Amino acid sequence: MKRRITQLHPFTVLCLAVFTVAVATAASVWWLSCAVIVMCLAIGAVAGKARKLAALSGAIMLPTLLSLLMIHGLASRDSSPVIAAWGPISLTRGGAEVAMMLALRTAVLVVVGLLCGLLIDKHQLVAAIDLSPAPPQAGYLLASTLFLLPQMMEKQHAIGEAQALRKAGTGRGLAGWLQRLRLRAVPLVLSSVQDAHDRSVHLAARGFPARGEHSRLRQVADSQIQRGVRWVALLCSVLVPAAILVPFGGAA
Amino acid sequence: MMDMEHRAPVESTSALHLRLGSFRYADADHDTLRAIELELSPGSLTVISGDSGSGKSTFGGVLAGMLPRQGADSCEGTFILAGQRIDYSPEHSPRIDVAGWARHLGLLPQDAGLYLSRIRQTVAEELVFARENEGMPRKEMTELITEFSTRLSLEHLLERDPSKLSGGQERLVALTALSAANPSIIVLDEPLAGLDSTATATVTAMITRLRAAGTALVVLTRTTEAWEAEAETLLTLADGTLRPATRTARTAASSSKPSGFAAAAASEKPLLAFAGVQLGYKGASAPVISDLDLEVRAGECVGLAGANGTGKTTLLKAAAGLLKPIAGKLRVTAESGMLLQNPSDQLFERTVTREIAFGLPKKGLQRARVPRILEQLGLASCAQTHPYELPASARRLVALATVLVREPRLLLLDEPTEALDPAGLQILNEVIDSVLERGGAVLFSSHDERFIARTAHRVHRMPRQ
Ligand SMILES: Nc1ncnc2c1ncn2[C@@H]1O[C@H](COP(=O)(O)OP(=O)(O)OP(=O)(O)O)[C@@H](O)[C@H]1O
Ligand SMILES: [Mg+2]
Repeated sequence: MKRRITQLHPFTVLCLAVFTVAVATAASVWWLSCAVIVMCLAIGAVAGKARKLAALSGAIMLPTLLSLLMIHGLASRDSSPVIAAWGPISLTRGGAEVAMMLALRTAVLVVVGLLCGLLIDKHQLVAAIDLSPAPPQAGYLLASTLFLLPQMMEKQHAIGEAQALRKAGTGRGLAGWLQRLRLRAVPLVLSSVQDAHDRSVHLAARGFPARGEHSRLRQVADSQIQRGVRWVALLCSVLVPAAILVPFGGAA
Repeated sequence: MMDMEHRAPVESTSALHLRLGSFRYADADHDTLRAIELELSPGSLTVISGDSGSGKSTFGGVLAGMLPRQGADSCEGTFILAGQRIDYSPEHSPRIDVAGWARHLGLLPQDAGLYLSRIRQTVAEELVFARENEGMPRKEMTELITEFSTRLSLEHLLERDPSKLSGGQERLVALTALSAANPSIIVLDEPLAGLDSTATATVTAMITRLRAAGTALVVLTRTTEAWEAEAETLLTLADGTLRPATRTARTAASSSKPSGFAAAAASEKPLLAFAGVQLGYKGASAPVISDLDLEVRAGECVGLAGANGTGKTTLLKAAAGLLKPIAGKLRVTAESGMLLQNPSDQLFERTVTREIAFGLPKKGLQRARVPRILEQLGLASCAQTHPYELPASARRLVALATVLVREPRLLLLDEPTEALDPAGLQILNEVIDSVLERGGAVLFSSHDERFIARTAHRVHRMPRQ
């Protein structure tokens, strides 16, 4: 099962994600949103990424939820019953409901997005785009954005090692962290620029980005069923929200 | 390949004919190259030697069409490559299509890691990267990979991440990728640096094969020794121009073995002790080194020898505290300093002086030592230069200076002789002697058996996995 999920074509994962977010947002009912989130966590668990998914979503959603409660819950001026009050500020039931609803909507987007990020292999995604009829520049752009961060992390690790060899930036705790940040920032930027420059001429010499026909050694498994699923998912992510949102019959 | 106006078919049997009047870097005050004439015929091997800083890498860049940079450097000369004529003049340098040029002439840079794309996950993909961009069908690419990886004994690396290779493995992979692109002329900048004896033999064999298939090869190197038997043309680059080289007996080894500290040291407590140590990297399937027992005592100079990828760098990094052992006991009882295998990984400041003074307390003994270190390593004249603009030999000495300024008692050197010129080698020997005299110890890795025999009291051979 785990292999099935992680070996899905990246485009299939993306199409299903678009479909899920579109329907859940359009429907905007709490149980559907909750069901989607639970399902995502379950898929994450099967793929062995549950802990990472939960941690990342938590890190994004907690501050979001708090700020939504502050904006809608506390400042709400409706006449619904008060749940809790601290002096002049009070949390009303209506306000809390609005905040929860908005938070759930955001949560669906966040959890589905993160799950996509965890399920899709960067290299597979780039290969899928290279193998698709998209222009070669698309794969080039995506590759340079996706791999920029890991490359910079590697670079900053190398600089960190070089500095550690000179006993600089080895402090502990927050102060040490800040010191490392200060010491590494400038060399990181300068050497990343230098590195990109040095590599770019060899990339160009090796014909990258390709100007015409190009191929990939890497295979991205696909199937008739997955192609079908993608089309249906994309179609439904337009039709279902339209059906929900466009009033039929009744209102003029 | 270039602007239409500069395109003119020329009949010629040679793969390349070059007449270079002059080449000057953008803000330099003299020509780096001048009055060079070179003709390459298919299947030939041309070896160009020259001291560090003589302009070999610049010449490589010019051959590969990467220099002059448009609108910056100035160049005067004429190329005839693959039947096309390209004219450079100080007023006008034609726009070069680097990819089109590289199909005829490929260059392996001195820092071979730069050749790797860093956007492919496995070595196998890296090997056919250029072919992918040409649109070669998958089946042919698979055959190509099998052919080349067998020829260069790279099979065990095919599924590895190209960014996590040892120095020698990286060079070998880059070299293979370049040959797999199959240009008709291949220019190699120091192709044997950091390769073990097996890899050296495989690369030499492959060069013979490529020549038999009609590829013209140019090797840029500091010492011609390894090439004299094979090469049909031996040239030296000096004062910016090419001259025929005389086949010389190699310069005699200048240095003697460090004097007999080792015997006296036997009783001393070890400065560095590995006991049953296991070392490895996160995410790798097996540890790189297991059951390592090694002691280095004060006054001792120990050499590390072993094939590419057997863990010499890994061992040294652990000794320097950059890598924690997975198991076993590692004890370091003295201040250590380490010279990394690739000096570019060690240098990040804007001038040589700043680089050496980095991280030293503003006022203090160590900072006062900076001018003396510069003097000692022969770097006084480039104190204000950007380390990146220095020739390879000087760059390695700068990296060495950043270590020495702290006067470590335990000096760790990873391939210190790579890229060093004779003067640099002399300095390195003096540095090692002075550390030993101070009562310190030296542990170094090298592929240069002669240097090991000359310098080390004792050799630790890394077991092959
Ligand atoms: N960052 C890394 N992550 C994972 N594996 C690595 C990493 N760096 C090196 N390795 C692997 O660990 C093994 C030992 O590498 P190491 O660099 O220590 O070899 P070495 O003996 O110094 O080789 P060389 O003579 O080529 O410099 C090699 O198989 C290498 O591919
Ligand atoms: Mg090494």
